[in-house]
Amino acid sequence: MVDISSSESLLSEDTKINGTVGNCFADDAKMSMRNVNVFYGDKQAINNISLDLARNQVTALIGPSGCGKSTFLRCMNRMNDTISICRVEGEFKLDDEDIYTKKMDPVLLRARVGMVFQKPNPFPKSIYENVAYGPKIHGLASNKAELDEIVITSLQKAGLFNEVKDRLDESGTSLSGGQQQRLCIARSIAVSPEVILMDEPASALDPIATAVIEELIDELKEKYTIAIVTHSMQQAARISQTTAYFHMGQLVEMGSTSQIFTNPTHKLTENYITGRFG
Amino acid sequence: MENDLHLSQHISKRFNQELEEVRNQVLKMGGLVEQQVSDGLVALLEADQVMAQKVVDTDTQVNAMEVEIDEVCTEILARRQPAASDLRLMVSIIKTITDLERIGDEAEKLGKNALKLLSEDSSARQFVELRHLGDSVKKMLNRALNAYARMDVDEALDIIQSDRNINQEFDNISRLLVLKMMEDPREIKNALRISWSARALERIGDHTKNICEYIVYLVKGKDVRHTSLDDIKKQIQS
Repeated sequence: MVDISSSESLLSEDTKINGTVGNCFADDAKMSMRNVNVFYGDKQAINNISLDLARNQVTALIGPSGCGKSTFLRCMNRMNDTISICRVEGEFKLDDEDIYTKKMDPVLLRARVGMVFQKPNPFPKSIYENVAYGPKIHGLASNKAELDEIVITSLQKAGLFNEVKDRLDESGTSLSGGQQQRLCIARSIAVSPEVILMDEPASALDPIATAVIEELIDELKEKYTIAIVTHSMQQAARISQTTAYFHMGQLVEMGSTSQIFTNPTHKLTENYITGRFG
Repeated sequence: MENDLHLSQHISKRFNQELEEVRNQVLKMGGLVEQQVSDGLVALLEADQVMAQKVVDTDTQVNAMEVEIDEVCTEILARRQPAASDLRLMVSIIKTITDLERIGDEAEKLGKNALKLLSEDSSARQFVELRHLGDSVKKMLNRALNAYARMDVDEALDIIQSDRNINQEFDNISRLLVLKMMEDPREIKNALRISWSARALERIGDHTKNICEYIVYLVKGKDVRHTSLDDIKKQIQS
């Protein structure tokens, strides 16, 4: 974790962060986060960040390693609950519902706010079981026919069905990396989420598999709200409508992707996306 | 001013070098085009046949430079996928060299018109107004290229404004030439040549103005084409 206090003095005048520049709020927000602070023990990983995820849009979270973007992403479906030294402050709302109240069951929340990770992590079960697992535990299907329907539809939506329809009984781990990642996307779609969080979903994939995933993300946004953490500037530019630039636990700038990639306002954003010394 | 865009601060030293090189190529092309305009005016106003032929012949060099810089830019776009100010630099260079090439074409027209006038035993020597217009355009182009080298937005705005004067001077020359043609119809042929030359100079002013608009785009990230000067100033301040 980067120590914010000691690094601050290294910043020159035009690279100082005085709050977020740009527009971090959406007219039609699916998720709204306000004044978020996250600590790992004594270390502060997120420093007073407020932002919205606009409904049916792809929001890209970018920034150098250790800037807090993955931490922030994980807070949005309470994945950080499992880390004992992690303390989360601030408001997280899904539509108008606070997701950090006691009555919110994190398991149910994670069905509504799904997550896809950097490394494809299918269960060591059949392709069918991988997708059927979520609907089963959440009781989304009352009989086998309904479950079949959910599995097939989810695989179709994830653009994988045609490639695996004849071998649904084979192990999920027998698929290629790109297929495994689409299987994980199908798995998260199967429980009818409202939001899908993606943490570098294509960084372990080749360009073709990456293009397939990106095309899929573009289609998925019609139905779901998506937040994606990526280290690939081009990927953020290609697939997102809004981009948020994180730096040392702070949200430096947020705005439309086209603006951020052609004419960013903050010097730090400019330095990062153009590969300059920050 | 150059430091505003921090072109030399990329982590990749090779990228810094590539941008520096392509920028230098543009400045070199600008220098050649400026010389062409200057030579074209000498050819026209001093009835210098050798110079006129030189201007016509040198245009191929200007064209070759445009193609060469285009290729370098395409390669940088493909290999570096530049963003933000680097992307704007690429876009502004690609557009600037198109205008520089067209200025080169207009300079060539000056040379060609000079040759035609010489072949008719006529010249534009006596046209003080044309000389004046030529001086104004030369100065405007010189200032624009300096503003480009320094990425000087204030200077670019001033030059954009000065294009009005060029247009006015061109209108005055056109009126004078109409009068001249009415007075002596035998002069129509040569008067037309002079009119076309004045038109070429006026077009050089327009292209120079475009280059200044690219400077504003490069530095400020605002597209100010087809915008009134007042609106441009407002946009830049916003």
